[in-house]
Amino acid sequence: MVHDRTLGSRMFDIVNYTLLAIIAMITILPFIHVVGGSFTTSAELAARKFVLIPTDWSLDAYRFIFSTDTIFRALGVSILVTAGGTLFSMLLTSLMAYGLSRRNLPFRSTMMFVVIFTMLFNGGMIPTFLIVQYTGLLDSLLALVIPVSINVFNMIILKSFFQNLPEGLEESAKIDGCNDIGIFSRIVIPLSMPAIATISLFYAVTYWNTYLHAILYLNDADKWPVQVLLRQIVVLATGMNYDSAEFGDTPPPDQTVKMAVIVVATIPVLMVYPFLQKHFAKGALLGSIKG
Amino acid sequence: MTKARKIVALFCVLVLVVGVLAACGNNNVANNTTNTKSEVDTNTGDNAVVEKDVVEAPAEPLDLTIMANLHTPEVPTEKIEKLMEEKTNTKLTIQWVPDGNYEEKLSTAFATGTMPQATYLKNITSFAMFKDPIRNDQFWEVGPLLKDYPNLSKLKPEVLQNTSVDGKIYSIYQGRPLSRQGLIYRKDWADKLGLAAPTTTAELLEMAKQFTEKDPDGDNKDNTIGLTDRSDLVYGAFKTVSSWFGTPNNWGEKDGQLLPEFLFQEYYDTMDFMKNLQSNGYINQDFPVTSKTDQQNMFKNGKAGMYIGSMGDVLGLYRDAIKLNPNLAYDVQNRIAAPGHDNGVWSIPGYGTVVLFPKSAVKDEAELKQILTYFDIMMSPELSNLTYWGIEGEHYKVSADGKFADTSGFDSGISDRDVKPYQALEIGEPATNGRFEGVFDYDVKGKAEQLIIDNESFLINDPTAPLDSATFVEKGAAIYKLIQDATYQYMLGDIDKAGFEAAVNNWKSQGGDKIIEEYNTSWANAK
Amino acid sequence: MNDKAVENMYVSKSNRRSETFREIKKNRLIYLMILPGMLYFIIYKYFPMYGLIIAFQDYKPYLGMTGSPWVGFEHFERLFTDPMFWSIFKNTLILFGMNLLIFFPIPIILSLMLNEVRITKFKRTVQTLVYIPHFMSWVIIVSIGYVMLTMDGGVINELLVYFGFEKINFLLNDSWFRPMYILQVIWREMGWGTIIYLAAMSAIDPQMYEAARMDGASRMRQMWHITLPSIRTVIVVLVILKIGDVLELGFEHVYLLLNAMNRNVAEIFDTYVYTVGLRQGQFSYSTAVGFFKSFIGLILVMGANWLSKKAGEEGIY
Repeated sequence: MVHDRTLGSRMFDIVNYTLLAIIAMITILPFIHVVGGSFTTSAELAARKFVLIPTDWSLDAYRFIFSTDTIFRALGVSILVTAGGTLFSMLLTSLMAYGLSRRNLPFRSTMMFVVIFTMLFNGGMIPTFLIVQYTGLLDSLLALVIPVSINVFNMIILKSFFQNLPEGLEESAKIDGCNDIGIFSRIVIPLSMPAIATISLFYAVTYWNTYLHAILYLNDADKWPVQVLLRQIVVLATGMNYDSAEFGDTPPPDQTVKMAVIVVATIPVLMVYPFLQKHFAKGALLGSIKG
Repeated sequence: MTKARKIVALFCVLVLVVGVLAACGNNNVANNTTNTKSEVDTNTGDNAVVEKDVVEAPAEPLDLTIMANLHTPEVPTEKIEKLMEEKTNTKLTIQWVPDGNYEEKLSTAFATGTMPQATYLKNITSFAMFKDPIRNDQFWEVGPLLKDYPNLSKLKPEVLQNTSVDGKIYSIYQGRPLSRQGLIYRKDWADKLGLAAPTTTAELLEMAKQFTEKDPDGDNKDNTIGLTDRSDLVYGAFKTVSSWFGTPNNWGEKDGQLLPEFLFQEYYDTMDFMKNLQSNGYINQDFPVTSKTDQQNMFKNGKAGMYIGSMGDVLGLYRDAIKLNPNLAYDVQNRIAAPGHDNGVWSIPGYGTVVLFPKSAVKDEAELKQILTYFDIMMSPELSNLTYWGIEGEHYKVSADGKFADTSGFDSGISDRDVKPYQALEIGEPATNGRFEGVFDYDVKGKAEQLIIDNESFLINDPTAPLDSATFVEKGAAIYKLIQDATYQYMLGDIDKAGFEAAVNNWKSQGGDKIIEEYNTSWANAK
Repeated sequence: MNDKAVENMYVSKSNRRSETFREIKKNRLIYLMILPGMLYFIIYKYFPMYGLIIAFQDYKPYLGMTGSPWVGFEHFERLFTDPMFWSIFKNTLILFGMNLLIFFPIPIILSLMLNEVRITKFKRTVQTLVYIPHFMSWVIIVSIGYVMLTMDGGVINELLVYFGFEKINFLLNDSWFRPMYILQVIWREMGWGTIIYLAAMSAIDPQMYEAARMDGASRMRQMWHITLPSIRTVIVVLVILKIGDVLELGFEHVYLLLNAMNRNVAEIFDTYVYTVGLRQGQFSYSTAVGFFKSFIGLILVMGANWLSKKAGEEGIY
């Protein structure tokens, strides 16, 4: 690839790189604060206004959260739900998105409207609970996946990516004797890897963050994903329930424990993105057509 | 290849179709919401038929599902639960609900008919929400039955009275100290400046002033303030200070009528006092938005010297603070009063959580009696200690005089996992269930516990605790925001007395007048 | 296009129907692909929608939806006559407008900037770093905001004093609420927002840039004439979806920032419903407020979709 080396272009690069570096530094601050805070003592957190790099290093917070197997089990559940849920959701979502991306499909608009309507109106917590109960999902991890298997937003994004594929591809595939499902699996999917990767990431993050459904649908605490534990510790660390006389003399967990559990519950999902990044490389689409 | 994918697609459809069919199947059985019960009910239903006579612990174990608030990071190990099951001849299932979402879980469970046989309500607020369903016969009345149980009959009648709905008792309660409120201050700073523990609001102000201006930490920098407060008019400093000024607790009597606290001159006195602290810089300037963590940090790290709130907090504060400054000393103080006023401190109604027994899960009175038998055994000294302190010799030891539980020398991590969560299940309080009180290795904490008991001699009670107002339930919290906002605005000098009165009038016209009327009617009926 | 229109004029109604039927038959595999998704929506989204009727009832959980008394539009009347209603409505719309006009373009700009980076390692590192704050809960973001802005020794105020300015009461001043809100939204979400655009940009043919360079187009011009047009469809779709989300402004975030001094600008529907509704178990009233929100959202989505079609774009349905 020929790079242009004009003065203007170089100036542009300098400004661009500098700005991006500054933005990256500012946006990473909260995370550094949390990581730093997790490796120190609660006394230091109280003494210093904004800990970034601890002076008084301590592993106590991690020792505390790893002292039982709860966090490992919760992480296991989260990984299972995230992996399984993302696969299931991607299957349903991409099939539907592809179907609805076909421009000449009769009733396409109607079907789209039916779908979009659910983005705006929902029946609320209680009727949804009853449906989950009737379909026999209560107390099963499936309750965290099936009732939310398609996200309208994700489906529409994927559909619009599919729509942007060159139309000629499908025609030529049809001539080659592929049916619609064949076109979808052999041509559309491989050509849409950036979009598939993006939407998979969105689903993965949503599944990773699920907690309210777990509390509502799963009575067995062994099945709770890691976000339930995280929320619980964050809520308790505010020390509010002690006030309202809900509870006696249990001191709230240390702030450092809160930070540590955030780190442990966040790192796994943070690692997903770098793995997907290769699909975002410039010209990935073209490359796959030619290759 | 194509074929394989086709099969996957078809499978998917099938799974969903089967799902729908299954859905319809269940639908017919459990169409009626009120009939939708968990399997547990049916089981216990059977048991209830088998055992008609249930004053003694039944031979066949009782199947009991309990929903309770989880106030610790993790659910407990099963050790204590096994012992409880053994001693009460019960097969227990405890549904732990994380603290932050207790209310959502509770209202969903109630609306979908999936509430278990014994449901702990997290606090007084959630109890208030259930008064309407209680009136509409959704829960068992237990009042007349309690006398038949040796331990449950010891529950304090005045606290039970506070939990009553239209004079009837539907729940058993978990006790709470009536008032923990007081002042925690830096003893070392006060000694250095020659200040005694404040007994009047004027001395309190003087302490705040000197802590701010007289460089109590001796570093020659103007970096200290008097009081540290947070965004909470109730459990922060405000309400406690208002008691010291003689303000009623939420509602008070004036000219034979019940009126809300903010119609009393004492409420204005309190606001003026706080405004004075604020404008002179004796209090953290951002207290209306400060979180509890930030408030406590200021007290721990030597920025502020006074903390008004729960005196029991002193232990947690001290643990961190001593690491930052080994010379630091705290002390606690109650009995502070404005000139012309007696000592006084606001109180809570004496209970924290209550247990309700939904009719949707507890089928008949025989089953209810069985469940009460379980709770009666649970309230015995032996099981109360097991619930609260754990196993003697493993989680705690009994002090030499046989009166206190001592946890020093035991691994607190183990008791956090084995015992702590079960503390949410306790019924009654040490005075009624015979549970040991704790001993503390930090003597200021011991003093705080003494003062909490001392507080009981000059409590200011909320006269509306057993009273009712439908408008209050419907709109009370929403329109109280008007008062809350105006109180802060007054303290920060954004509005004056006329502005505050305008907010009060606004409150009255948006339903406050009706609340006053309804409470007074209810009050007249109760007399 | 024209041919088809002319053709249609001559096709009789029954013919057209049978043609539709033929199309459906031809696309039966496509319908099969849509079916599982449709079933999902019908079972888990449309069945529960009967729950919306409680907006028109005085719903009591123990009476159920069949037993609760009907009250017509009473809850809506209560909402519309609430003295706070217009102020809440206005606040909600202003925050929504700020989201759309100020926040929305930022991820686009950031992804354009990232797209110009040629050092892959640098690009991937920056991408990963900017998306991390999305995983920090609002509680953390807001508490860091407090630590920086407080009058009691906050970093920003200390700096102001150091440079000889007066302290500013950021936290207790209603005119700082909106800037604070949108800055925190930008801080947390801008990196996350770039992901979709970067995916869309990866579909651009690199040859187009090379051709432009041959013509001597500057980098800015390349962005403007090549990159932006290529992601136009995605932008339009996102704008419409964002508009549908009009009243979802992040309850948790606003609730954490809300205080006595800024309630006049910070109270939005979600925070209002939380205090009046859920905390007091008023299912019907909060459902009614939600219904109203959804209704506004529906109108806006339909309007935006119509506009985008007018402008020659595809729209979302």
